[in-house]
Amino acid sequence: MSLFIQRMFDGLAEGSIYALLALALVVIFRSTGQLNFAQGEIGTLCAFFASTLTLSGVPVWLSILLVMVIGFAIAALVERVVVRPIEDRNPGAVIVALIGVFLAVNQLSAMFWGVDARALPSLFPTDADSFFRFPGTDAAIRYERVGIIGVLIVMLILLYLLFNKTKIGLAMRAVANNQESSNLVGIRVGNILILGWGLAGAIGALAAVMLAPSAALSGTLMLGPFLLASVAAVLGGLDSPVGAVVGGLLIGLLKAFLIGYVDFLSDMLFPVILVVLLGVLLLRPAGLFGTEKVVRV
Amino acid sequence: MSDAIDDMAEAAEAPAAAAAPTKWPLRTPQYSPLHWAGRISVIALPLAWIFLMVLDKFGIFGGSWTTSGLGLVADGFIIAIAVMGVNLITGFTGQLSIGHAAFFALGAYVGLVMTEGRVTTPFFGDDNIWSPGWTIPVAALLCFLVGCAVGLPALRLKGIYLALTTLVFVEATRSILKYEKFEGVTGGASGIKGNKYTPPEWASALGLEGRGDLNEWMIYLSLGLLLLIMLLVAGLMRSRIGRSMVATRDNELAAEVMGVNLSVVKSVVFGLSGAITGVGGALFGLKLGLVDGDVPIFGLLGAVTFLVAMVVGGAAQVWGPFVGALFYVFVNERARSVGEAPADFKRDFTIVLVIAVAAIVILVSRYLSKNMDRIKGNVSNEGYRAVGIVVSAIVGIFVLQSVLLGIGDGRKLDGLGGVVFGVLLILFARFAPFGAVGTFRLQRNKLVQVVPKPPVAPTAAPVAGDPVD
Repeated sequence: MSLFIQRMFDGLAEGSIYALLALALVVIFRSTGQLNFAQGEIGTLCAFFASTLTLSGVPVWLSILLVMVIGFAIAALVERVVVRPIEDRNPGAVIVALIGVFLAVNQLSAMFWGVDARALPSLFPTDADSFFRFPGTDAAIRYERVGIIGVLIVMLILLYLLFNKTKIGLAMRAVANNQESSNLVGIRVGNILILGWGLAGAIGALAAVMLAPSAALSGTLMLGPFLLASVAAVLGGLDSPVGAVVGGLLIGLLKAFLIGYVDFLSDMLFPVILVVLLGVLLLRPAGLFGTEKVVRV
Repeated sequence: MSDAIDDMAEAAEAPAAAAAPTKWPLRTPQYSPLHWAGRISVIALPLAWIFLMVLDKFGIFGGSWTTSGLGLVADGFIIAIAVMGVNLITGFTGQLSIGHAAFFALGAYVGLVMTEGRVTTPFFGDDNIWSPGWTIPVAALLCFLVGCAVGLPALRLKGIYLALTTLVFVEATRSILKYEKFEGVTGGASGIKGNKYTPPEWASALGLEGRGDLNEWMIYLSLGLLLLIMLLVAGLMRSRIGRSMVATRDNELAAEVMGVNLSVVKSVVFGLSGAITGVGGALFGLKLGLVDGDVPIFGLLGAVTFLVAMVVGGAAQVWGPFVGALFYVFVNERARSVGEAPADFKRDFTIVLVIAVAAIVILVSRYLSKNMDRIKGNVSNEGYRAVGIVVSAIVGIFVLQSVLLGIGDGRKLDGLGGVVFGVLLILFARFAPFGAVGTFRLQRNKLVQVVPKPPVAPTAAPVAGDPVD
């Protein structure tokens, strides 16, 4: 039982990172209808910035906030300079441009920080004895895991408040729903799109700096997580923030339990995910919480 | 689809032409010399562009003839075959797949598993060892069957949902190929080390074995197969299935109403495209002489490579993969060498060449549209802006390179080449969104317009019983 709880927390913590990244993907998909291939790489770049900042003496919490601003700026820039001019001409070419951004950002970090892995201090205590016993069992839960789950919850509350209680959030929802009508009622659609991408960039940066302390910080930091996060976003429904969170946590739990309990399948994460994904998508083609697009003929 | 772009351009210009006759576009009857010149130039110009890059690699502009250079050409043709497969399902049928790296891996494994005699086959060869050439059709057959199976879920999924499912399919295939329980066949995590494809006797008799250089034989073989597949695809696109594919892409519902069997079209075309990519994979494995699950192109890299090469060459263009794959291989290789040494105009000539040709194309097209836009009254100086961007990109690359190398004390710059290539992709998507062939075709349509012969007036009276409005 204690092992089960421990694995569950491991899975939830890892799933929280996927959930954060999936949230970033969903925010962009809702507003632009694109899958941001460069999402993970922008996060990695921000994690490198964070490592430089902390090395030069900036407190960890402050450097995380700073790199979220950097992530916001990079993603906003990508929307304005790369995506929008191309989307006007041929939406099919946007994916290639985003792959170009992916490559360029990925190699930028290799260029400035080299290819050797480096360490990033965590926001939460990571000593050997910084854990607590789960009440009633002897499962040792590390503070770091709880912290990451907590960050996800805080982020969700903030996003809920932003989308549902502010005027900007209302405008963002309107743009996600219908760009043309939003334009007609006086919303500056361009600014809202930039804001949406920037927001996603900041969330992606947060996911990367949460992940980096427990993994080696190198150019490939976000490749695997990005793949799993995009699966999570699809599983939950690409236009549903709730779906992104549920999908992310599901993938995290699936990974933890598969490695923990099903010995002969521990190397077979992706085949299992493929089966789960197909099972879900064949029943609900728009994902668990996604809304199916009704096309007027 | 070429016709689609043709139609689009004609539809856009028809009203203007009716309003006031202008010099551009030149109007010409179908199959006149001018029409043929236009048709050929659309393919010849991108090919000439590619050819310059190949020449550059081989000593004309400062490179040198090497085995690795020959291998690069062979790689280009092999990737072009794989991209033909992606183009069939994504370009022509509109089903976004980034999963074809899986078929590529499968094909490569089939090639090596069979030439190494790792599976028992009922009737072929002694001790199950196949000759390399015969493994290619087997790879195609296996990938066709797997492709048809993968195509079934594609019936329900659309757009990015389908794309990501196929991406998971790539990783899943990789895990299965590396799985320890299948070690007897696939060699597990360490893969299979086998022999490279040595030219068969008939090839030597024809003088195709190429001075004992293995890569030269692979060039002939893969180019031959590539041209054959292009011929088949061009034929397929004129057939009933090809028209159904385009109809499915353009509007599924309308296609279904018109009698296209969507399930059959989608899953069979998925199978066909998988088979074509599998052929490329088999060639790749036989050229390399070894496979394992960690070969980068069997994973995310391959998925990205094929998609980028398809769009860069021109989606839904028969010649697109040819141009796109060679572009990808050569420009990528040259861009990566940018970061390795101090700025050298001669060595980095390809990059300059690519950008210069792009600049000329943009300039010409802007000039022409300026001429034609007289009617619309929209004379833009976007052309100058485009040239400005391009020139500053060239200067920027070299300045950045010099400055960074100065800072880094001559240390090798790992990432710069990748950054340059990434930026080139972004510029390409910005200025040639329909790919090299597609964009050339659009420009051609601004120059030459085909005036169809007036239809022959019907002589027979309407058949009795025809519905009358």
